[in-house]
Order: sequence, then structure tokens, then C-alpha cells
Amino acid sequence: MTFFNSLREMFAMIELELRRLRHDRTEIYTRAVQPILWLTVYGTVMSHVRDIPTNGIPYIDYITPGVLLQSTIFVSVFYGLTIVWERETGILKRLLVAPASRYATVIGRAVASGVRAVVQALIIFPVAILLGVKFISNPTYIAAAFLMLFMISGGFAALSIFVASLMKTRERFMGIGQAMIMPLFFASNALYPIKLMPPILQSIAFFNPLTYAVDAVRGLMISGDVANIPADFLAVIVFDILIFAVASISFRKIIE
Amino acid sequence: MVLAIDVRQITKIYDGKIRALDGVDLEVNAADVFALLGPNGSGKTTLMRILTTQFRPTSGEAYSFGIDIIRNDAWVRKMIGYVPQETSVWTDISGFENLLIYSKIYGVPSSRRKKSISDALQIMGLEEMADGLVKKYSGGMVRRLEIACALLVKPKILFLDEPTIGLDPSARKAVWENLIFFKNEYGTTIFFNTHYMDEADLYSDHIAIIKRGKIVKSGTVNDLKHSLHSEVLLLDLKSHALDETALTDIRALDCVRDVVVSDSELRVFIDDADTALPKIMETLWRKGISIKKITTTRPTLDDVFLNYAGSITAVRKHSPQNAKGAPAWD
Ligand SMILES: Nc1ncnc2c1ncn2[C@@H]1O[C@H](COP(=O)(O)OP(=O)(O)O)[C@@H](O)[C@H]1O
Ligand SMILES: [Mg+2]
Repeated sequence: MTFFNSLREMFAMIELELRRLRHDRTEIYTRAVQPILWLTVYGTVMSHVRDIPTNGIPYIDYITPGVLLQSTIFVSVFYGLTIVWERETGILKRLLVAPASRYATVIGRAVASGVRAVVQALIIFPVAILLGVKFISNPTYIAAAFLMLFMISGGFAALSIFVASLMKTRERFMGIGQAMIMPLFFASNALYPIKLMPPILQSIAFFNPLTYAVDAVRGLMISGDVANIPADFLAVIVFDILIFAVASISFRKIIE
Repeated sequence: MVLAIDVRQITKIYDGKIRALDGVDLEVNAADVFALLGPNGSGKTTLMRILTTQFRPTSGEAYSFGIDIIRNDAWVRKMIGYVPQETSVWTDISGFENLLIYSKIYGVPSSRRKKSISDALQIMGLEEMADGLVKKYSGGMVRRLEIACALLVKPKILFLDEPTIGLDPSARKAVWENLIFFKNEYGTTIFFNTHYMDEADLYSDHIAIIKRGKIVKSGTVNDLKHSLHSEVLLLDLKSHALDETALTDIRALDCVRDVVVSDSELRVFIDDADTALPKIMETLWRKGISIKKITTTRPTLDDVFLNYAGSITAVRKHSPQNAKGAPAWD
């Protein structure tokens, strides 16, 4: 019973996100500006630096997966902010009194954020095509890449819910959110291959789930090299399970 | 008859130190409108959050229609509606969409969804604005929408935490008229928190007064008024500087049951005005305090509240006018 109630709440949360998006699309567009600048400016400038070994892939193509991931993860990390805001309003209290399980509230919100993040990526995708990025033309590969975007975004949303449960105010959360995203991005293979990094950064990158997501999305969308895909998906699934469990447990703190 | 709510010795201590509830006992009859009346910080929200299964009390028991609220929380959640004090609808979608999302969360079957939503809109008088964005609603409309969301499942008990806080009088009236209409239609028990005495007076069948986590008095509005057995003398003083010895002297009079001060107004609870008035006037004159106006009244709910929960001025004893000279009183 509770299981079905929970599933229902999750779908209701996804529907809520889509309805919000329909009413106000400006956020999606404004959030697309930054990643598009990354591609056009940074991508174009750095492509003249011949030293970055990208296995013959144009640099702008090389960073496209990373930029897609950065923008989706940005959405999901700031999703925790919504939860902090909802704690200040009565929405969270009300969801707790609904028949679904408490975990459904956490997981539902995280999954809904994953959906929102994928919508974000869908905006950037055609722009990248216009910029001349050559994607693999296999629809299954592209679909799998979007599945990865969805999975990693859901995980980061859960991480952000966990951080939100430790923070008491929105302002504090904003600070932490900023401080979280950039290092994650730089300590991954999003902008340059791991082997170019200093050893400390390399070991951070090893534990950074973003690395595996970038590797998978790059393999599926750009290089067509799918040898590591099962391992990448496994790593992200493990990350998701762990972080969903932690977020669900820490959710109690948000309640009281 | 089984009680809608039966609370026994509920205590809640936050963070191991803040005693928000201190042995609360409470009974609410089915199909009653019940008001929990108390000043800010007295523990009303804490009690409501326990009764709506959001967290557990530190100790004590609570039942709703015979079901254990603490142990069978999942069961209880299916039969209650709840509107928290803070805004609980999404403002960036329409009123109708809020009802739609909540109806899905609450599991209203899709065959009945349309009807539930249009019923709820109609009961709360929101049909015309249903498709507008909630951020364009007035405060009263937002409240009515929040209540409408709680009516989707036709709850057996409706919990409302300060339902009309911050609303202007006409919006308050609209909220209550719609609520009473719903209650008469479905026989729902309504449990609401408030610090507005007139609201408790006008709309509730039973009232409990809570102060610092303890129920200090409960009963029907009339019971409470009669429990004072007294008349109230309202003395409007010319000066603010009422010194404490004058107050003590008046309290010491045989015929005086209690005295409450708010600003330049003295409320004296007495058994019989004819004999008490001369003595009180004499005391005041001796202290050189002159009187602008005297009124005698039957006790109002305000008097009941002041009597049991203490005057609001008692909290404000460091106000500037006291600092100027008159000693603080409690
Ligand atoms: N989540 C909380 N953590 C710690 N203390 C709390 C919390 N909620 C309420 N309190 C404290 O408990 C007391 C009662 O609060 P509350 O139940 O909100 O009163 P009311 O609703 O009557 O204004 C207050 O002293 C308040 O500061
Ligand atoms: Mg309160």
C-alpha cells in the first residue's frame, strides 16, 4: 500500500516540476546561457591549444558532455534550495502528513529534479549541434546518455537535500552550493583528461561520481567508445543508492 | 461515544532542553469545532504537529477515534486533513493545479478526481479563480485554497494551525463561513489553533486555553465565562504611571478576585460591583491616581483568557513607559 502511495507521490512530484516549467520557462533559458558561453568562448579558445590530448576529438566536442553535465548538476544542486525554502513554508509539513512514505518525499523530489535537469540538457543539445559538435548518430546511445544525465542529476539532487538538511538557512545553503559545484567540475574529466591532473586532483577525480558520468556521456555521445560504459553506470548506481539512503535518513532533521 | 481526539499527558522536549509541551490532557468530541487558544510560543503548533503524526512526543499518548496516533500513524494520516500555519501551496502554478497535484499525492482515484476538485473549489468559493496563478491570489484566497486542498479526501478531522493569521476581517469571515458550510455538510471535526480570542468565541464549540505547554482551562465558551463568577470593572486611568503599591493594595481588597493591567487600563475582576467600586476608588484616590472612565461588563472571552493565560502586558513589562518611573509588575 505504502509502496504504491509512494510511487504515486513520486509521479505527482515529477508532474509538479513539469507544470512549473510550463508556467515559467525563463529559468530554463537563463540557465542555458552559461553553458552555451562555456562551449562558444572557452571551447573555441581552448581548441587552439593543441596540447590537450583528446584522442583527435575537437576540443569543443570533447567538453560538450562536461558542459551538459555541469548545467544539469547545477539545476539539481540548487534543488536542495527548494527544499530549504519549502521547510520555511508549510509544504514540507503538509507532505509529511500525506499517506506516502517519508522516503517517497525525498526520492520523489530528487527524481523530479532529475527530470528538470534533463529538460535543461535538451535545451543545450540543439545549440551544441548548431555550434558544429558532432554527436554519435545512434539514438540508443543518445538515449542512454540522457539516462545517465538523469541518474547523476537525481543523485546530486539527493546530495543537495542532504546538505540542505544540515543547513538552517537559505543563505548558508547558497554559499555551500557554490562551493560544491566548481571543485566538482574541475576535479573531474569534464574539461581535460585525468592524466593531465596533479596526483591529488587525480585521486579526488577518482571518487568524484561526475567523472564516471562524463566518461559515459562522452563515450555515448561523442567518441562512441563504450568499453567503460557498464563500469560507469555501476559507479553512478552505487553513488545514487548511497546518497538516496543518506538523504532519506537525514531528512528527519529537516522535519523537526 | 468515541472521542475524535484524546490526548493523555503529552510532553514534548525539543533538543533535550526546550519544554514545549508539559503534560497536556485534552479531549475533543466528534463533529465539534475545537479551538486551542494560547499566546505565541505556548505550544499550539507543537501539539498539532504531534497530532498530525509529523513527529513523536517525548512522552504521553494520543488517540484519534480510538486509533493510536503515535503507533498507527500511517492509519491516522489517511483520515486527517491538515493546513499548517505557513503557506502550503505552490505559488508558481494555478489553484487548480495545486488541487490536482495534492489529489494525486493523497491518492484520490482518477475516476473521482474531477469531482473532488470541483467540490473543494466550490466549498471554498474559489471556482472563478481556479485557473489563475496562486502568486496572484490575495491572502484570504491562498488560505481558502490551502483548506480546499485538505478537503479533497473528505477528512474525518481537519487540523488548522492559525487559519486566519494575517488576514483582514472580511477575509477571515469568508474563510470561516466556507469552513462552517463544509462542517455542516460533512460533519467533520475541526481542530484549530488560534491566538485570536474572538475567533475562538465566535466559531468554536469547545475551547482549551494553553499556556507554556500546559492546558490551564477548558470547556465551552459559556462554561469558561461563567467560571469567572464575576463582573469586570474597566477603569480607564488618566496617567500611565500606576505604581505597584496601588496595585497590591487593590489586589489585597477582599472583594477583588484579580487585577489585570494593560497600558492605562485596569481590569478588576470582582464579585459585586456595588460594594467593590467604592473601595477601589478610594484606594486609587489615596495614591493620587485619577480615573477617566469606569465601565462594568460581564466577562468576555478576553477576560477569561487574561485571567487564565495572563495579561499580555505581563510579558511587556520592560516597555519604555515603565522604564520611565513606575516599577515593573508581573
Ligand atoms: N523545531 C523546534 N525546535 C526547537 N524548539 C522549537 C521548535 N518548534 C517550536 N519550538 C519552541 O517550542 C515552543 C512552543 O512553540 P510552538 O509550538 O510553535 O508554539 P505556538 O504555536 O503556540 O506559537 C516555543 O518556545 C518554540 O520556540
Ligand atoms: Mg504556532
